[in-house]
Amino acid sequence: MKHNRWFQIFALVVLASMILVACAPQATPTTPPTAEPTVAAPPTEVPPTEVPPTEVPATEAPTAEPTKNTVIIGVTDKLASLDPADAYAIMDWESIKNISEGLLRWKPGTLDLEPALATDMGTISEDGLTYTFTLKDGIKFADGTPLDATMYAAQLNRLLTIGPGATCPNGVAGALVTPYVQSITAPDAKTIVFTLKNKIGYFVQLLATAPYVVSDPKTFPADTCVLFPEAPIYGVGPWYISQFTKDEQIVFEPNPYYTGDLKPQVDQIIRRDYADAQTMALAVQNGEIDVAWRQFSPDQINPLKAIEGLNVATVPGGSIRFLILNHTMAPTDDPNVVKAIASAIDRNEIADTVYGGNVEPLYSMIPSGFLGADDVFDTMYAAPNLDAAKQFLAASGYTETNPLKLEMWYPPEHYGPSTAAWMELIKKQLEATGAIQVTLQAQEWSTYVTALTGGQAYAAGVLGWFFDYPDSSNYLDPFVYNGGEGTNVSPAAEGTDYGNPINDKAKQLVDLLAQADSETDQGKRADLYKQAADIYADLVASVPIFFNAEHIIYRTNITGTSTFAYPETLNVGPNIEFYYSLINKTP
Amino acid sequence: MSPIGFIALLIGVPALFLLGYVFIRGSTGLRRYILTRIVLTLPMVLILGSLVFLIMRVVPGDPVRSALGPKGTPEMIQQIRTQLGLNDPMYVQYGRYLVQLFTLHFGNSLVGAHRPIADEMSERFPATLELIIPASILALVIGIFGGAHAAAHRKGVADYGWRIYAVIIYSLPIFWLGLMLQLLFGVKLHILPISGRIDPVIGTTLTHITNIYTIDSIITGNWLALKSVLQHLVLPTITLGLILSGIFVRLTRINVIETLSMDYISAARARGIRERVLVYGHALKNALIPIITLIGLQIAILLAGAVLTETVFSWPGMGSYLVERISQRDYTAVQSTIAVFALLVAMISLAVDVIYSLVDPRVRY
Repeated sequence: MKHNRWFQIFALVVLASMILVACAPQATPTTPPTAEPTVAAPPTEVPPTEVPPTEVPATEAPTAEPTKNTVIIGVTDKLASLDPADAYAIMDWESIKNISEGLLRWKPGTLDLEPALATDMGTISEDGLTYTFTLKDGIKFADGTPLDATMYAAQLNRLLTIGPGATCPNGVAGALVTPYVQSITAPDAKTIVFTLKNKIGYFVQLLATAPYVVSDPKTFPADTCVLFPEAPIYGVGPWYISQFTKDEQIVFEPNPYYTGDLKPQVDQIIRRDYADAQTMALAVQNGEIDVAWRQFSPDQINPLKAIEGLNVATVPGGSIRFLILNHTMAPTDDPNVVKAIASAIDRNEIADTVYGGNVEPLYSMIPSGFLGADDVFDTMYAAPNLDAAKQFLAASGYTETNPLKLEMWYPPEHYGPSTAAWMELIKKQLEATGAIQVTLQAQEWSTYVTALTGGQAYAAGVLGWFFDYPDSSNYLDPFVYNGGEGTNVSPAAEGTDYGNPINDKAKQLVDLLAQADSETDQGKRADLYKQAADIYADLVASVPIFFNAEHIIYRTNITGTSTFAYPETLNVGPNIEFYYSLINKTP
Repeated sequence: MSPIGFIALLIGVPALFLLGYVFIRGSTGLRRYILTRIVLTLPMVLILGSLVFLIMRVVPGDPVRSALGPKGTPEMIQQIRTQLGLNDPMYVQYGRYLVQLFTLHFGNSLVGAHRPIADEMSERFPATLELIIPASILALVIGIFGGAHAAAHRKGVADYGWRIYAVIIYSLPIFWLGLMLQLLFGVKLHILPISGRIDPVIGTTLTHITNIYTIDSIITGNWLALKSVLQHLVLPTITLGLILSGIFVRLTRINVIETLSMDYISAARARGIRERVLVYGHALKNALIPIITLIGLQIAILLAGAVLTETVFSWPGMGSYLVERISQRDYTAVQSTIAVFALLVAMISLAVDVIYSLVDPRVRY
């Protein structure tokens, strides 16, 4: 019997060992860049004055705790891709734009553009189709490889050639590059020329987005997307990615060759993934992380404000929530019905009751600060205005004895746990007219979004929107032009990108937006968007409900840079760009 | 070691070991029984896999639309669906799935980066293993010794105490217990970390070999990392282990009480053997047999518990992976994960049955 036992123990040990060995992932290089660049600099190159990272290689076990001044940022948003030709999620862009730069960027904390890798804002040809930029001198990747315009143009051309597909599943190039850009060339080592397919008024905004940043040709080859390359991952920005453990953490180290004006102020940034915001809130409270970033729901914010040692800052930017009303099916094809809905909803009650004041009531699809922003729904409908709502309903024959029956759909989980609460409130507000009976229908996200935006099977539903690039066009175009985002004032029609407007007003709206899209004068664009917003509100193409600001929670030894806008939010402003270089930490 | 090799070894090694062992040591009956069980595992996995395949396609929702949200144009959605084979007839998709299942390749994820499922599992599975092994040990230690202690003091304060403990602990929601432990030991007392597998900064010094961080830190002699990993293991292990310990307390108590009433115990007692030796040395040993069977069954509950524990403690294992992929309608990931779970449960049940036959020679098949 003893023999038996020893045999069992031996067998179990062997089995366990084999499983452990089998669990080993494929090679996980974690070695940081050494003093010698991996690609040799030209012989005439002056050696860098700064010493590249010399941290202890990961293969050597440390004997004491690391002493680097490290800032740890927690996020619940998932990283979906690190390839600029593919990446579309917010954390993707945040990572890419911290390790690399494009020709232009948003000035930290603002919606104003400024040159990044370019010497100036570039020149635009008279026909508005050609944009020419000159590169600054001395731009280098974190491994010391110098950047020239030819390399840059070649990497940008990846966007045009690989586009959306099996290896680029997120399709960013298909959305932000290929519809606009005809060609990208480098006539010499310093000059980059973009030739557009059509005149685009907001092309400079697109140039500041992640797809247009420089990527490393050694990591991102011309013919394929590499969504999760092995670290180290270099760019020409203030940081490089030294380690990357998927779904766990990503480590940023300073780029020793960076010469721009966003130099890192700490030795290391670690961005850690969290499964849920509640745990992340406890972690920042417990001091395990220094900053808790995206994303907290508004109802999680108030309890955090009372905790000593934490700063809770509200970022003046973010996403919006609105009601989509289907103008191609009853009963929301009736202008009086949609106007009654726009008149009856009390946004302040939603913001205060459901979210404790942590969201802003929204009276325009264009949030404040953007071109043409104006509280047009407030001016037009002065909501809540039950008398006006009753009049609109009565005009279409809806009364207390003959009430309007309306089904409203929403996804209970996708936009946070409070969605059901504010949908209930909207039901109550609409029913307060006495002439509407609302039936709320909840459906899980994937089915819901297919029915709402694909099949357009619902008369009314909820959607949220977060801009692709911070420009007014991105807050109006997707809901007017037919592009699959719930558009229903201009349903799809053969032979046109803009669909078939339901009436003259909708046609006028489409024309105004098309005009604004191709106008390069920003003052004129602002006027056009203002006019468009007025017609949008008159049509009630959708009903803006609230603006869901972002929140950033950080410990009191963390500070933002006071030379840029919004140091209290660690310099994250309406553009929602988080430059890790602008964080400082008192150890 | 490739991820495919990982899966093959994970499933194949236990099976080979058991087969080899049977031919060396087992009786004919046992040999036949184990072979039958192994053969029956295949249709079991096939049926389960097919059910999951069907259910995932019957429930509403589309993985591509879900991933792209309102920004996905119909053209983009169709293009990606075609590339992923989601526009193929159902029988073609099913055939492809079966091939992938039996070649242990599993195919690629339908969402995000469309990475091979085997790669994703090889990253996530070690984290779950690292959690469920110590949690099982804790549950067994508390459960067996608590149950024996209760039995030894039958109808005494300790007995009632353990019985109340067992009922309460088994009834507690895992996420509530986890949250309470986080608040107490993390936020209030500041003595234990509440999230993740290792301190982020110390984690940068750890070389990943097996992805089981305790093993990796020992292999590389990184004692700082080992300390941090063990600290991070404490709360999730206690949460999962305590919840599971309740059922073992009750089961052990009943079996030990039953054993203590047997004649050979009375005879031993008459010979003057001390009560402690009787309970822990004789009765407990014999009472372990049904408990061993329960361990095999508990693996499924353990995996389910790990899903919640991983979410509460931001532990990047298979449980949180499964939840995430179900919500994204990632058919291939869900099917593959459940198939692997099923295989795991089948293999562990088989191993338990073998151990049962060795512990109790009276068992014949």
